[in-house]
Amino acid sequence: MMAAFAVSGLCKRYPHFALQEVTLSLTEGEVMGLVGVNGAGKTTLLRLLTGIAAADAGSVEVLGHRLPQAQVTAKREIGFASEDMRLYRSQSLDWHIAMMRRIYPGWDDAYAASLVHRFDLRPQQTLGGYSHGQRVKALLLLCLARRPRLLLLDEPTTGLDPVARAEVLEALADVLRDERRSVLFSSHNSHDVEQLADRIAFLHGGRLIAHADKERFLDDWRRLLCLGSVPPALSSWPELAQVRHAGSQVEVKVRRWSEDLPARLSAAGLSVQRVDPMSLEDIFVTSVRAGGVA
Amino acid sequence: MYQQIVDQITARVMAGDWLPGQALPSIRELAADSGVSVITVKRAYEELERAGLIATRQGKGSVVAEQPEQARALLVDALTQSLAAAVAHATRLGLTRPALHARLEQVLDASETPATHHEGPKS
Amino acid sequence: MKLAMNIPLIRLLVIKDWQLFQKPLAAHVLAGLFALGLLGLARPWAFYLGSLLLIVVLVAGSCFAVSTSLLEERKQQTLAFVMSLPVSPLDFTVAKLAGGLLTFGVPFMVLLLGTVVVILSTPLPDGLLVYSLLIYGHVLLAYCISLAVAMQVQSEGWNIFAMIASNLLVNPLIMLLGQIDAISVPARGEDIVWSLPAVAILSAQLLLSLCTLAFTAWWHGRKAAFY
Repeated sequence: MMAAFAVSGLCKRYPHFALQEVTLSLTEGEVMGLVGVNGAGKTTLLRLLTGIAAADAGSVEVLGHRLPQAQVTAKREIGFASEDMRLYRSQSLDWHIAMMRRIYPGWDDAYAASLVHRFDLRPQQTLGGYSHGQRVKALLLLCLARRPRLLLLDEPTTGLDPVARAEVLEALADVLRDERRSVLFSSHNSHDVEQLADRIAFLHGGRLIAHADKERFLDDWRRLLCLGSVPPALSSWPELAQVRHAGSQVEVKVRRWSEDLPARLSAAGLSVQRVDPMSLEDIFVTSVRAGGVA
Repeated sequence: MYQQIVDQITARVMAGDWLPGQALPSIRELAADSGVSVITVKRAYEELERAGLIATRQGKGSVVAEQPEQARALLVDALTQSLAAAVAHATRLGLTRPALHARLEQVLDASETPATHHEGPKS
Repeated sequence: MKLAMNIPLIRLLVIKDWQLFQKPLAAHVLAGLFALGLLGLARPWAFYLGSLLLIVVLVAGSCFAVSTSLLEERKQQTLAFVMSLPVSPLDFTVAKLAGGLLTFGVPFMVLLLGTVVVILSTPLPDGLLVYSLLIYGHVLLAYCISLAVAMQVQSEGWNIFAMIASNLLVNPLIMLLGQIDAISVPARGEDIVWSLPAVAILSAQLLLSLCTLAFTAWWHGRKAAFY
C-alpha cells in the first residue's frame, strides 16, 4: 500500500527552535493525529510536508513526490489549512470558491454547496464580516471540496465554540468514507484527536516522543491505584512511566500493561486496588514528563 | 473506546434492527457515520466476530451471525461482570448480603417506571 | 534548474491581485487626472499645484501597490494561503512581479500618457516632455526598488524606509535636472530635445529597474522552498 507521506531523519532549525530527527509515515487511507503543546513543532512539520519549507536534513516524500522539489504537483493533491492562514477579508466566500474551482480540477461544487449549508455560511458576504469560527470553517471548506488525497490541518478546531467544533469534526469524519484519502491533523487538544485518529503521534520540543496505533496506545497504558509502600527497585521497571505516592496510596502509570503486572507488583509489596484505562491526554502528559520512551 | 461501538451494535442486533444474515455497514461507513476512527470500528468488528455475533466474509463485508443467541450471551457476560463489580464495591463498603439485596430491590423499583414506557423495537 | 512555471496559476494570482486592488487604483487614476487638469490650465499657480499633486499621486500609487500586494498580504496572513496553493517560489515571485507591475503599471501608464497629451496639446512648452519623462523614470525605478526590497525583507520598518527613501530621491533628481543646462533650458522651449544627458539618465533608470526585477526573480526562483 502506498504511503500518504513518509519523512525520515527530518531536521529543521530556526533561531529559537529546532525540529530534530523526525521519522514518521502514514499509510494511505489513515487518519493521524499530531498532538503537541504550542511550540512543539507541529506547524513546522506540516510546512515541511507541503514543501513550503525545506528541511535542513532528511527526506520528505508526500503521495510519492519528493519535496520540496515537486511541491507544485504534490500541492495539487493536498488540502492544507493552518492556524496562521487567512483568506481575503475584502472578498466573499463565493469569490474564493471561484478561485479554487479554477485551480483544482477535482473541485466538487455540489459538496462545496452542501458544506456551505452545513457550516451555515453566507457565501456572498465578505469574509471581513465573518466570525473567527466562520473563517475557520470557510478555510476548511476550501480544503475539503477540492477532494484532496491528503488533508493537512494545523489546529483545525482551535478557538472554535463547541457547536462549530462538532461541525468541523463531523465534516472531517466524511473523509473516512474514502479509503484513498488520508488526513494528518494537529492539535494541542488530544480530545479532538482521540475521536477520529487511527494513529497518534506525540511531538514535544521538536522531537517525536511517541507514535502508534491509537488503540494500541489505549491498550498499553493503564493507571493503577495501589496500597503499600513503594519498593526502591520500582524505578527501574521499564514498563512503568510514573510512580507517585500520597500517604499509603500509590498511583502507578504503566506504559506497557500486561495481565501479570498486578501479581508482580503485589510480590514487590504493592497491592493493586484499581486498574483504569487512561485518556490520550493523560498518556501524552505522562509521556512528556517521563521523557518519552514509548 | 471500541467498547462503545461493540455495545451499540450488540444493542441494535438485540433490538432486531439488524436481523441475522443482514449486511452490516462497512467499517468506513460506520466510522464516518458515527464520527469515530476507522481503527476503532475495525477493532470493534474484530471483537464482535470473536464473540460470534457477526461473521466476516473475505472481501464481502460483515453480516449479523445466524445465531443471535450470541448477542444474548454477550449481554449475560456483561451482566455477570457488572454484578461482580457491584459485589466488590459492597464488600469494600462492608454491606451484608441482605443489605445488598435491599439495594438491588431499590434500584429495580426505581427503574420500573421508565420501563413501562418502553416502546419496543421498531419494525 | 528547470524553468517550468505554472502559467495558469500565475495568471490567476495576477488577476487576483488586480481584482483586489482595482478600486483604490481607480481612485488614484482619478486623482492623477485631476492633477493633469490643473497642469493643463498652464497658469503658474496651477502648474505648481498640479505637478506637486501629480508627483504625490504617483508616489502614493507606487507605495500602495507595494504595500498591499506584499506587505499587507504578509501581515494579513493571506500569504500563507497563497503558498499553500500549487505554486513554487518561482511561480510566486513571477506572479508577484507581474501583479505588481500590472497594479502599479496600469495607473502609471495612464498618467504618463495623460501627461504627454497634456504637454503636447496645451500651451505648456512641449520641451517639458523630456523633463517629465525623466521624473516618471525615477518613479518607476523607485517602485522597482521598493518591490524588490519588499520581496526580500520581512521587516516593515526597512520596507517603509526603502519606499520613502527611494521616492524622496526624486527631489535631488529635480535639482540635478535643473543644474544640467542640456535638460533644463529646452524644457522651457517648444522643441523636444533628446540631449545626451537626458538619454543617459533615462536609459540608466530603465536599465536599473529591469536589473532589479531580474535579480529579484532570479534570487527567489532558485530557491526550492519558501522557508
